[in-house]
Amino acid sequence: MVRHIVDARGSFCPGPITELIKTYRKAQTGDEIELLATDPAAKSDVAAWAAKSKNEVVEVKDEEGYIKIVIRVLSKGS
Amino acid sequence: MKRVVIVGGGTGGTILANNLSGKLRKEIERGQVEIIVLEGSESHIYQPGNIDIAFRGAEPEAFRRPPTKLLRRGVKLLQQPAKHIDLENRAVTFDEKKLNYDYLVVATGSVAAPEAVPGLAEASLIFHRSQEEAMRVWEALSAFKRGRIVILTALPHKCPPSPVEAVFLTDELMRKRGVRQDVEVIYATPYTRAYPAHGIADVVEPEMEKREITVQTLFNIDRVDHQVRRIYSLEGEELAYDLLIAIPPHRGADVVVKSEIGVDEGWIPTDKHTLNIKGHDDAYAIGDATNIPISKSGVVAHLEAVTAAEAIASQIHGISNTYLYNGRINCPLELGGHRAVFVSGTYTRQPEGQKPSLTKYLMKRIFNRLYWTMLSGSLEPIFKMYLGPTYEVK
Repeated sequence: MVRHIVDARGSFCPGPITELIKTYRKAQTGDEIELLATDPAAKSDVAAWAAKSKNEVVEVKDEEGYIKIVIRVLSKGS
Repeated sequence: MKRVVIVGGGTGGTILANNLSGKLRKEIERGQVEIIVLEGSESHIYQPGNIDIAFRGAEPEAFRRPPTKLLRRGVKLLQQPAKHIDLENRAVTFDEKKLNYDYLVVATGSVAAPEAVPGLAEASLIFHRSQEEAMRVWEALSAFKRGRIVILTALPHKCPPSPVEAVFLTDELMRKRGVRQDVEVIYATPYTRAYPAHGIADVVEPEMEKREITVQTLFNIDRVDHQVRRIYSLEGEELAYDLLIAIPPHRGADVVVKSEIGVDEGWIPTDKHTLNIKGHDDAYAIGDATNIPISKSGVVAHLEAVTAAEAIASQIHGISNTYLYNGRINCPLELGGHRAVFVSGTYTRQPEGQKPSLTKYLMKRIFNRLYWTMLSGSLEPIFKMYLGPTYEVK
């Protein structure tokens, strides 16, 4: 299992989902993606994306000044 | 003598060269500083003009000029593409010659790469790569009478507003041609809403609903089968089309990839504030070429160029200031009907919703003409007044 760190802090446009998807494309099933974001919409966006793409949000944590979200890659959808 | 080498003569490279030549005019005249731009293309393209070519049938000539006409006196232009960048040995190779530098700026932009998605290059028309391809979009839309047009976004790509502008202008064109009732317009986006920034999505989505534009969210393209005219997503969905206009995934420039100074698809690891290439205090990257999580857009290239020019000039002047870009963006987004909004923010301030207006649309149109003057650097005082601070000095 590999944990990919994605630092999208400071990105509102195009936002953290862009960085997440870039990493998701190269990740393997079983990997984890740790997304760091300052965009408050990241929580709901990642939850919606994970539900649709059948991946799992395993941790959502408010850190000082940013949000940490950990996603486990379960499916690439194909 | 100090030599500054700028790789790339697009928006960022040209503004940086001109800005720097103004700040170092005396040193250049005395032969103490040399500024060299390496640019292989014979035309500098104003890329937002591709929207006008693709969706309004504008003539391409208005949106291109030779780079020789755009650089100020004091800047040397080598009309050669850089072949290799060696950050360790401070050298750039072109045409089998080696050019050593004291300061380097990589402003090589990004490349639309439909070939990165199976089937996409054969199936789609694109307007992010060349004026010629933008003209083919116009030809296809002008002849389209009935069926489904899908406008699809893949990540990462330059100019976040451009897909939404394409959608609104397609709708507008079909209405003008009197065929909208027979044409379905679908916008497929990888995001959870019609525009990634919440405040702007709140403006865009009701407008799309009003115009019966269908938005397919969370659709990350995986492949296209052009024989059956279907697009398949990573999320396991499929979408049929009659005409597919794509904003394909982008990658870094060939020279970055070949020089192995990029990560992922060829993006240069860059400090988002100082704009230094990570681990190299004599080298900078600006604009689309970086891996900074910010929009790949002309305004970012512009403001990063101004910041990097300040940093390099102050070092040459022996001043120990540090210049920190604050992530300022200010991108026009047209909604059709002669109305626009501006997507404005910084690293710490997200874009807010606003009422679309004719004034903002006219500002966008006027900027199309001002662009060529803006490249010279002579309008910087006006931009500073309008945009406010874009970097912090420490």
